[in-house]
Amino acid sequence: MTSTTFDEAAFELLPGTSEPLQRMRKQAFEEFRALPIPSQETEEWRYTDLSDFELSFEPHVPSVVRTTSGQDLDGLGVMFTDLDGAAESHADLVERNLHTLVPTDRTKFTALHGAFRTGGTFLYIPPDVRVELPLQTLTYLDADGAATFPHTLLIAGEGADVTFIDRFASPALDRALSDAIVEIVVGDGAHVRYVSIQEWGSGVTHLGIQRARVGRDAEFRSLAIGFGASLARAEAETVLAGAGGFSEMLGVFFADGTQHFDHRSVQDHVAPNCSSDLLYKGALRDASRAVYSGWVHVRPSAQKTDAMQTSRNIVLSEHAKADAIPNLEIEANDVRCGHAASVGPVDEETVFYLESRGISRAQAERLIVTGFFQEVLDRVRLDEVRHNAELAIQEELGEPATAGAR
Amino acid sequence: MGPSASIDEKGEHIVAVSQEEHLRELSKGYRFDWKDQSNSVFEPKRGLSEAVVEEISSRKSEPDWMRKRRLKALKHFEQRAMPWWGADLSGIDFENIYYFIRSTEKQAQNWEELPEDIRGTWDKLGIPEAEKKYLGGVSAQYESEVVYHKIKKELDDIGVLFTDMDSALRDYPDLVKEHFGTLIPANDNKFAALNTAVWSGGSFIYVPPGVHVDIPLQAYFRINAENMGQFERTLIIADEGSYVHYVEGCSAPIYTSDSLHSAVVEIKAMKGARVRYTTIQNWSTNVYNLVTKRAAAYEDAVMEWVDGNIGSKVTMKYPSIYLLGKGARGEVLSVAFAGKGMHTDAGGKAIHAAPYTTSVITSKSVSKDGGRTGYRGLVRVEPDAHHARSNVRCDALILDDESRSDTYPYIEVEDETAALGHEATVSKVGEDQLFYLMSRGLSEVEATAMIVNGFIEPITRELPMEYAVELNRLIELQMEGSVG
Repeated sequence: MTSTTFDEAAFELLPGTSEPLQRMRKQAFEEFRALPIPSQETEEWRYTDLSDFELSFEPHVPSVVRTTSGQDLDGLGVMFTDLDGAAESHADLVERNLHTLVPTDRTKFTALHGAFRTGGTFLYIPPDVRVELPLQTLTYLDADGAATFPHTLLIAGEGADVTFIDRFASPALDRALSDAIVEIVVGDGAHVRYVSIQEWGSGVTHLGIQRARVGRDAEFRSLAIGFGASLARAEAETVLAGAGGFSEMLGVFFADGTQHFDHRSVQDHVAPNCSSDLLYKGALRDASRAVYSGWVHVRPSAQKTDAMQTSRNIVLSEHAKADAIPNLEIEANDVRCGHAASVGPVDEETVFYLESRGISRAQAERLIVTGFFQEVLDRVRLDEVRHNAELAIQEELGEPATAGAR
Repeated sequence: MGPSASIDEKGEHIVAVSQEEHLRELSKGYRFDWKDQSNSVFEPKRGLSEAVVEEISSRKSEPDWMRKRRLKALKHFEQRAMPWWGADLSGIDFENIYYFIRSTEKQAQNWEELPEDIRGTWDKLGIPEAEKKYLGGVSAQYESEVVYHKIKKELDDIGVLFTDMDSALRDYPDLVKEHFGTLIPANDNKFAALNTAVWSGGSFIYVPPGVHVDIPLQAYFRINAENMGQFERTLIIADEGSYVHYVEGCSAPIYTSDSLHSAVVEIKAMKGARVRYTTIQNWSTNVYNLVTKRAAAYEDAVMEWVDGNIGSKVTMKYPSIYLLGKGARGEVLSVAFAGKGMHTDAGGKAIHAAPYTTSVITSKSVSKDGGRTGYRGLVRVEPDAHHARSNVRCDALILDDESRSDTYPYIEVEDETAALGHEATVSKVGEDQLFYLMSRGLSEVEATAMIVNGFIEPITRELPMEYAVELNRLIELQMEGSVG
């Protein structure tokens, strides 16, 4: 298959799927053709310019490896499989949930995703089932000029408990598109931990949307680690839909070279008595650029909300550029909401102290950045997840900061 | 100056008759002293056109450059779309506004003519009868002229120019031409364009190098026949090392028959100068208050905006400071209040364009009875503006479950040595605080008002005493009937 502009012919070439999904796909394709490329004129796309973005790629199914940490999932009734397969075996669950949190007509890119997606991950945990060890999907892309549409649909039944790691990687490519969607349904009383590690190679344009719906007394904890891609726009949204829900959203990113990161978050409080906490930390080097913009929405129905949103940025070199826009929209009065944002250089006094101990400036900066990220990682409870994240950070920062580091 | 044209600074104290009646009245008794146009009876027209703009300009006998500037601005205004962000402005009907007559709205001739609620407010404020009449503008003309002349003499002695914009254009054409529209060009935004096209009145201040103006200059004390519209234009130039504090104000509720107020304020704080600009805005709740305020602070200059927004239906106002010289400092203190049917979208901007510049933005907002307050701000550090420092602090208080508060802070940093912080909190009145105060015998309303006053105290303490007292009283009034 050669490069395509995602026209009718390319659409016709897609492998068949179930009748309802085919209808959904068809509709998404119409939407894709009708919708414009998002304009910088809009607030949502103000900091990312895709006006010259050439939508000409080869649709590609990347290699996907699912690991279960050796657990017997079948015995638990857990479904952890390919999304297209699940569309056959669990038609009802898939049809009921696919593209309900992230509708295909949200943007041209979600429509494109809806029309051309094949594959993806489906994870279903039945009510009251606890999966002890993390489950992981590794999506690996190595085709130049490819477009891939990773999709994760995670449904945790009432009282279920699971940790899931979504990992995306590729070598350096000339040009590729990752148009990703993650939909997570956290049932009442369920506990879900979701970790995404984005390590696409240079040349990749990553446009990802993650949206979780948190039920009554449920708990959702997400950690997003973003190091890769030339341009990465990652949206993470949590809807607190049931009373007493809790959401934690953590983010760590490191941008260098000419990378462009556009991180957006939404904490949408619909139900009362929920709390949410967000902490994003980013470091920027070289001529990279990072934008964080976040929204805390507290709807009139969401009394007794406790919401916090924090964005911290370290700028390590002269030509790097960081923007932060933490927004609050509060429509209920009995709430506690706050946000904080900062952008600044590494603390010169700390560097000076480390240098006085014989540590080179480069090493001192690495130590400081490691420590800066540690605040986020310290909040990750599962050792394995934290270890994974620490490794990814060390890899990004170059040689280990100290001999003692893992 | 004809007797019927005695209007105070902002055309603030206006009889609450319908606009129609008002205009009939005016066109009958109109004796406005246009220099070249002595006996024409003025027929007000609704809507905006080149003809209206031409007429404004010719009646003011303006130099040609200003006329051209106005016409060009009108084009910008027509071309620009309404802002898609911020408050709902769909209620503005540009075709239904008198762009010209507004500047001639007259004042109440006696106390009884004043609208009931204004009189009531002053009674509640506990302002003495004489002062009431003065504030009502009824006796203001005479009294303020006295004050004005006294102040004017003092200012003349130290070389300070303080006059209305129309006179300034006539008397100091070079100064005006040099600075007018340099900070806020006509095409800056739709409402700045509108103002540039139809501006009338406003203040002009020039403070010579090294001069420290001890008394706050209050627009209130300036009688100006040609003013004052809903489109006033203010220009302040503080020359090197000088100091001036300008208070724009409405020391009482404002009543207006019109629905759109769109001012432009430009301030230049030259090297080492310090300018403080204080506003207490208390328009009645049928006014769209869409104001563009911008200041430039040069080397080691200090610019301070103290901005209190208590009234209006809609306010969109973001006083900004361009820190253009090394070591310049900017501060924005903003208080916003929104009650029933009100949307106050206020904030501040600091653009760091030189090294070692600092800025502080502090915003306090209170919403109740379905009101909506918002902080919208920008802190931007340009490349090479190294070692910039900025801190933004926003606190919002929401008094009931119908009200709303928004915070939209933009932070854009293009220099790695910059250190910027932003913090915001949104909360309700603390129940333990309320409980404590009520256990001491205060009613819930009193206790709430006290807590709110404490909440905005960081701002009120920066105000001249009489304004601070008044702001507190206004807040107390706004609280009345709010709870329980």
